[in-house]
Amino acid sequence: MEQLIGVVNYLVFFAISAGIYAVLSLGLNLQWGVTGLFNIGVAGFYAIGAYTSALVCGLPPSAWDGRMVGGFELPFALGLLAAMLVSGALALAIGIPTLRLRADYLGIATIGIAETVRLVLKNEAWLTNGVWGLQQIPSPLYSVIHRHAAAYISAHPGLPEWQRLLISRAYNWFYLILVGAVLIAVYFILKRLIRSPWGRVLRAIREDEDAAAMSGKNVFAFKLQSLALGAMIMGIAGALYAHSVRFISPASFEPLYGTFIVWVMLMVGGTGNNKGAMLGAVVVWGIWAATDFVAGYLPWSAPQVAALRIIAIGLLLEGVIVWRPKGILPEGRANHRAP
Amino acid sequence: MEVLARIPQLLVYGLVSGSILSLGGIGVSLTYSILGFSNFAHGDVMALGAYLALALLPLMSAAGISNHPLGSLSFGLDFVAALVLATMGTCAVGLVLDRVLFRRLRGAGRITLMIATVGVALGLRNVLQFFWGPQPRYYSAKIQLAAVIPGLGIRIKPDQVFIVSTAVGLAVLLHLFLRYTKIGKAMRATADNASLARISGINTERVIAWTWIIGSALAAVAGVLIGIENKFVTPELGWQMLLPIFAAVILGGFGNPYGAVVGGMAVGVSEEVSTAFISAAYKPAVAFVILILMLLARPTGLLGRRS
Amino acid sequence: MSLLSVRGVESGYGDMQVLYGIDLDVEAGQIITIIGPNGAGKSTLMKTVFGLLKPTKGRIEFEGREITGLSADRIVRRGLAYVPQVENIFPSLTVCENLEMGVFIGDRVPLGRLDQIYELFPSLVTRKRMRVGKMSGGERQMVAMGRALMLDPRLLMLDEPSAALAPNFTATIFERIVAINKAGTAILIVEQNAKESLRISHRGCVFAAGLKCFEDSGPAILANKDIGRLYLGGE
Repeated sequence: MEQLIGVVNYLVFFAISAGIYAVLSLGLNLQWGVTGLFNIGVAGFYAIGAYTSALVCGLPPSAWDGRMVGGFELPFALGLLAAMLVSGALALAIGIPTLRLRADYLGIATIGIAETVRLVLKNEAWLTNGVWGLQQIPSPLYSVIHRHAAAYISAHPGLPEWQRLLISRAYNWFYLILVGAVLIAVYFILKRLIRSPWGRVLRAIREDEDAAAMSGKNVFAFKLQSLALGAMIMGIAGALYAHSVRFISPASFEPLYGTFIVWVMLMVGGTGNNKGAMLGAVVVWGIWAATDFVAGYLPWSAPQVAALRIIAIGLLLEGVIVWRPKGILPEGRANHRAP
Repeated sequence: MEVLARIPQLLVYGLVSGSILSLGGIGVSLTYSILGFSNFAHGDVMALGAYLALALLPLMSAAGISNHPLGSLSFGLDFVAALVLATMGTCAVGLVLDRVLFRRLRGAGRITLMIATVGVALGLRNVLQFFWGPQPRYYSAKIQLAAVIPGLGIRIKPDQVFIVSTAVGLAVLLHLFLRYTKIGKAMRATADNASLARISGINTERVIAWTWIIGSALAAVAGVLIGIENKFVTPELGWQMLLPIFAAVILGGFGNPYGAVVGGMAVGVSEEVSTAFISAAYKPAVAFVILILMLLARPTGLLGRRS
Repeated sequence: MSLLSVRGVESGYGDMQVLYGIDLDVEAGQIITIIGPNGAGKSTLMKTVFGLLKPTKGRIEFEGREITGLSADRIVRRGLAYVPQVENIFPSLTVCENLEMGVFIGDRVPLGRLDQIYELFPSLVTRKRMRVGKMSGGERQMVAMGRALMLDPRLLMLDEPSAALAPNFTATIFERIVAINKAGTAILIVEQNAKESLRISHRGCVFAAGLKCFEDSGPAILANKDIGRLYLGGE
């Protein structure tokens, strides 16, 4: 029984990560799947959201922190809001000079912004504590729930072991519900937006930008809005991530984890399809976790195994591109018609 | 003005790193002009070349090729042999990649192809990490003495002269190849108008194969030169080079190999001179700023699309 | 046996069908002009014959051998050549290099051939090393045709050779076309500038809405008042 609960607890943890990646995928889907914007800098917006929320909600700098600002100990909701706004602002800053240009240029520019963000995070220790990262990021309602769970356990000394294991992890269940709620909210808001006239213009831009321009739409403005809104969603995911792991550093936002894996998720799940984006997150995260299990049985060293896992994801991506470029769930018919 | 006094030396450093960026940029421009997409795996192909040379080096000495340093360079004939073989190996990898992956995507959209190259980039990088680990691998533990150019007070090492001359030499060779050989002209024709090339009877698959060969070869050499200059290589090398190389290519004119040389030098010099004013850690950011400024002011680049 | 025989060809771009069943014959040594309104499928037919588009139905034979659906570089080897309407030269290559591209599939440039082309287009001689992208429209058209002629094709297909040319140049081009034909090459022309082209043609066809709706000898079509009114802008 204990083993079962152990598995269940792991699945909760897995689901939280998958849920955060699902939010990221939804953001990318808006930018790429719906509007056709080639954003390879997902990690940048993700990182900015995480760091913003951590700095807004976290503790003030301690004596041995490298940083000198931040840590306003504000509530989680404000951290989330700040993350959205800063990510959105970053998107506007990068979008204004580059969105009029061709896809490859936007791609390179977004790589550049993600790299620059990472450089700033690594080097500007006065703001971000550099490579040592931000610790003790508070999780919303953590102490409240933990206290209640601990109180319950100590009030019931005869509790079966499996129940004790379950309740001691009560906070994760709460966080899972939180992530789920955010995910569902983002999903439904996006669904309304994409079905709206605004969304139809975005899809028209993806299908044939010149035609959309000739029908009088300010293509640039729409692209900017899509980039910014998508970035805000990625910022939300970053905040969720920061508060769940409670420690972030520039290493958490390597291009691999932040950007590449999200692209694979979207392509596997189905570009242009929100349900596909979420499905892809679960599937690819599942494959990633599965390779972690398998890795334990392989004879190679840890860095070698890590490399193999990434090669596996790379092969998955290439396989999808060659044999099923539309992904598991193709773009729905409702998404196809241009205005 | 102490800062200004350092600039001539930084210019020299800039020429050295610019040469390497130029070699990398030529490959990217060539691939783009003929194949039609930006290859984000180019940096990692450079890293592949660097690692292959490192791996082949002990085999060369074992084969009896001398490791006696050539002149005042820090390496011997065995290293040159390793470089040549590593280049051939990298070309083979490039051709295999085209055959196995990119050939199946000939009709695919440009963005899909670029995503595919991102996948290849990550795959290559991790193959390197699998075989050689994430820690830096050293090319040479020796410190080479720099010669001082009298009068200007600039120091330059013999290895650095080698780097610049190799890059220049290869660029000249490429120019001659494109200008005077049949396949070189066919490559230029395909870059101009792929459909007309086919109509004229040009075997575009052969042109594409040559593009991969030349691009990979230049990348491999550039990677080895990085190893010589920095003394070590890591699997991250490729991705780190991507931004400055693309900045160089955009600066010079996307798809224009001659522009890549100009752009490469300009970015190299800018990056090095910038260290007089800001932290060296931000060198990639300098490249990025150049890139953005270029995209804003003149997206077609200094030399435009064609020479 | 016709040099080129097209039977029941249907073709188009993706889902959009343009040709609904074309029958056409080109005899060796003839000049044939196809005229008709925009969208009638004239260029589409040429692209289909040359393997740039795959026909959905029908059969194309050249010198008795089937060439339906072959790729362009195979068709060039069979003795056909094609000059597209736009983007028909390599702008960053010189005149000489453009012509050399015409014989890429050969081992080297046949010795006399370049001279023959320069004889045909003498104004190119002084511009051998000039980048074609810098040349005028008329000169570019000559280079385009020269490139196509390098392998001495039995059939040359020209898509609107006089389009975007100054009027005085048009006469030169058609005069050159006659010279090429006299040397033995059959020529299939698609033209908007129908009158000039029909004047030099042995036969003419009228295409409309993806079908061939009329065919006769060149002079006869020119003299035909109805065709003249509909397609040639009045007599």
